[in-house]
Amino acid sequence: MKISFKINGQETTLDVDPQMPLLWAVRDELKLTATKYGCGKALCGACTLHVDGDMLRSCSIPIEYASGKNVTTLEGLPESHPVKQAWMELQVPQCGYCQPGFMMAAAHFLQIHPNPTDADIQTNITNICRCGTQSRILKAVKRAAELSKK
Amino acid sequence: MTEDKKINSRRNFLKRGAIVLGGSMVASYLGCNPMRRFVAQTAEGMDLPADISSFNPDFWFQILPDNLVLLKSPKVEMGQGIFTGYAMMAAEELNVSMEQMRVEHANTASGIEDALGTGGSNSTLSLFKPIREMAATLREILKLGAAAIWKVPVTQITTQNGVLQSGAQKMTFAECVAATKKWTIPETPALKPASEFKYIGKDVKRIDLKTKVMGTAQYTIDSHFPNMAYATMLPCPYFKATLKTVNTAAAEKSPDVLKVVQKDGWVAVVAKTQYAALSAAQKLEATWDVPQMLQQAELEAMVTVGKGTEVNVQKVGNAKSVLENGSGKVYKQAFRTPFGTHAPMEVNGTVAHVTKDIAIIVLGTQQPSITKSLVAKALGINKKMVDIQIPFLGGGFGRKGMMGNVVETAQLSQIMGRPIKMMFTREQEFQNSFYRPLTHHVLSAKIGENGDIQAITHDQATPDEVLKFVTGSTLPLKLLGADFISAGHGASLLYNIPNKSATVWGTEIPMPVGIWRGVGMYPNTFAVESFMNELAHETKKDALDFRMGLLTDVKDSIAQRTKKVLEVLKEKSGWTTAKPAGVGRGVSIANDRKSIAGSAVEVAIVEGKIKVLRVTQVLDVGMILNPEGIRSQMEGCVMMGISGALYEEVTVKDSQVSMSNFHEFPMATLADVPDIQTIILANAQEPYGVGEPPLAPIAPAIAGAILDLTGKMLRQLPLKI
Repeated sequence: MKISFKINGQETTLDVDPQMPLLWAVRDELKLTATKYGCGKALCGACTLHVDGDMLRSCSIPIEYASGKNVTTLEGLPESHPVKQAWMELQVPQCGYCQPGFMMAAAHFLQIHPNPTDADIQTNITNICRCGTQSRILKAVKRAAELSKK
Repeated sequence: MTEDKKINSRRNFLKRGAIVLGGSMVASYLGCNPMRRFVAQTAEGMDLPADISSFNPDFWFQILPDNLVLLKSPKVEMGQGIFTGYAMMAAEELNVSMEQMRVEHANTASGIEDALGTGGSNSTLSLFKPIREMAATLREILKLGAAAIWKVPVTQITTQNGVLQSGAQKMTFAECVAATKKWTIPETPALKPASEFKYIGKDVKRIDLKTKVMGTAQYTIDSHFPNMAYATMLPCPYFKATLKTVNTAAAEKSPDVLKVVQKDGWVAVVAKTQYAALSAAQKLEATWDVPQMLQQAELEAMVTVGKGTEVNVQKVGNAKSVLENGSGKVYKQAFRTPFGTHAPMEVNGTVAHVTKDIAIIVLGTQQPSITKSLVAKALGINKKMVDIQIPFLGGGFGRKGMMGNVVETAQLSQIMGRPIKMMFTREQEFQNSFYRPLTHHVLSAKIGENGDIQAITHDQATPDEVLKFVTGSTLPLKLLGADFISAGHGASLLYNIPNKSATVWGTEIPMPVGIWRGVGMYPNTFAVESFMNELAHETKKDALDFRMGLLTDVKDSIAQRTKKVLEVLKEKSGWTTAKPAGVGRGVSIANDRKSIAGSAVEVAIVEGKIKVLRVTQVLDVGMILNPEGIRSQMEGCVMMGISGALYEEVTVKDSQVSMSNFHEFPMATLADVPDIQTIILANAQEPYGVGEPPLAPIAPAIAGAILDLTGKMLRQLPLKI
């Protein structure tokens, strides 16, 4: 089935099974690989992206949901985005695999919580990291909030 | 040129030396001495004998046309920051800027092959001297090249930021390479003294930072070949089970399925898309022959002190006699640690492209050399025809030192005649893995009438972790008759107690076990250091002072460095300040392959749960390479340590792992982040490991803090109140 949507601002049409998770459509069909597979059950957040400004875990959303909508992946955030800049400044990544999901979660979170406390971040960003970068992520989200105001 | 000839000529070309300049290889057998030192250092660092007879120098460095320097790393980047460390070492001797350094993994067809793989917190130490020696040699080769072009004595030439200079004359390394046809090879030059270091010891940003933040970093499952198909395997649901029957009819009719392959007792679905493969695999109907239905309690009973092969790994004085005779009190306790799983965020996976000429295997592995042999054997081809190409590893922790699905993926590519991507599902990652083995520990001490510790014994029971899966290796691993890497690692007692002994009870269990970050140090430190906290409590001493009082041997450098770590912990953690109400403090140390790690923690009980409030981590790394990288590893170890102490546990029911995905295997999250303070000490002449040592002390320090707070000792991980 043909499904048309915008990916990082560009119109695209895919001819795929409408039940295919958005994750695989983005990664395998569009070759945008920043969005990662982590658990397949919306538990870890490695596949987090934005659809029409909403934050979604794309492993558990069928591609047909994106029809006619705007999908944004980490590749679609500019290098100057406060979240990317804060992640650079705080040198957050170790293995780096979960970081795109965290950054996409943070970018969405900051739109709702422009002045976040630690507790806000801890309650709302529930992604999983195994290397143990959580302490830097906490700092980076707060730094991104500061950078957003400049 | 045919594909075959290309490969052969490339092999011959590469055999000639270690450094590529201007498309030609320079310096036959250059790097031989540094490489020998690398192997020897690795062997020393890991307490392993190593075979260097088959060593062959290969490509390490290349000056690129845009005056960048490419270093091919034989050790893999899995988050620990080794690429950055190596770039610093090279930049230091080459006199180039960090921005000019590029680091890639060596692939096995044209690069350095490291038979030992990556692990054991040994990558920095083992190549600290060799990389600098090769870089210094390369710098001198370039200077000799420039001297010939300018017709000046080499002593008049200086180097800075990748530029050669003599008086007013300047040329970049790349220009020198382009203008030189014949190279002169110097003796290995002397290395810079520490006083002249520009990068070593200074904060340097990760060389892979930007690519990982921008989302362009490539991992195994990100790689793609034209005409690639996707596969998924029918997972074996029970340990040691064999496939009895499988009905593939429904899967074969599933949309976009290309083929259902059955081979060597396994079944895989190959399809046009990942989704089609995963969907079709759900429709396979299989029955299994299960040799036995193992239960958790049976496994725990198998792994019990007193059962299996007894090997004494430490004997000082006569602890047994002191424990059994004379006055004083015998204090004895038992500890257990559970099965663990690595749970790297990147699941195991392989992309294989097998043609008649070459088998390209894209795989994030800690063991490229062993993998190459296994693939060659499975495909029935020469090892030279296997090229293991390594992208970034999305976490390793030991898991990627053990086999995933590489052999099956390579075979599928051979059968299908096209590239295949096959990844584990998260469920397979949880249930078809190698697990950190559970352990059982019994510790006994003789407490004298005045509270002194006269004797201590540690008996540890563990299943074999290492010997089972290391194949095709020349390493004689079975030293002492025990699985000494895992069991012996941390089993011995550091403290200067006159009578002490450590004994390992080796056993085998019918489920796959393997190396997990920190190996034996993790369970052993939990048991031994928890027991030390109990002894301090029992003798009414401060847990930190108690330890310092047992580090009395001034000739024992490890003991003295440990004492120093404790002194710094005491000063910096606020150990002697008044404790807030409802807060407990605990301490622990670990001596892990010459790095000394110490943790002091503060905990509280919040809503009935243990909450870690503060962690002060001190790490004596010997010599500091990149403080920023070390801090990052220390912080990571704090979080993984908290996760292990409070949450992580793999259990078995009916020969299956009970956990299928993250909802059944809780781990530390942002909500668990304590106030973390990291302090790095340097008290030796070489940079020791940082990836594993800071992990081990966290859990026993937390247990010690609970003891301090509640008077109750928790002797089993994860800690439950």
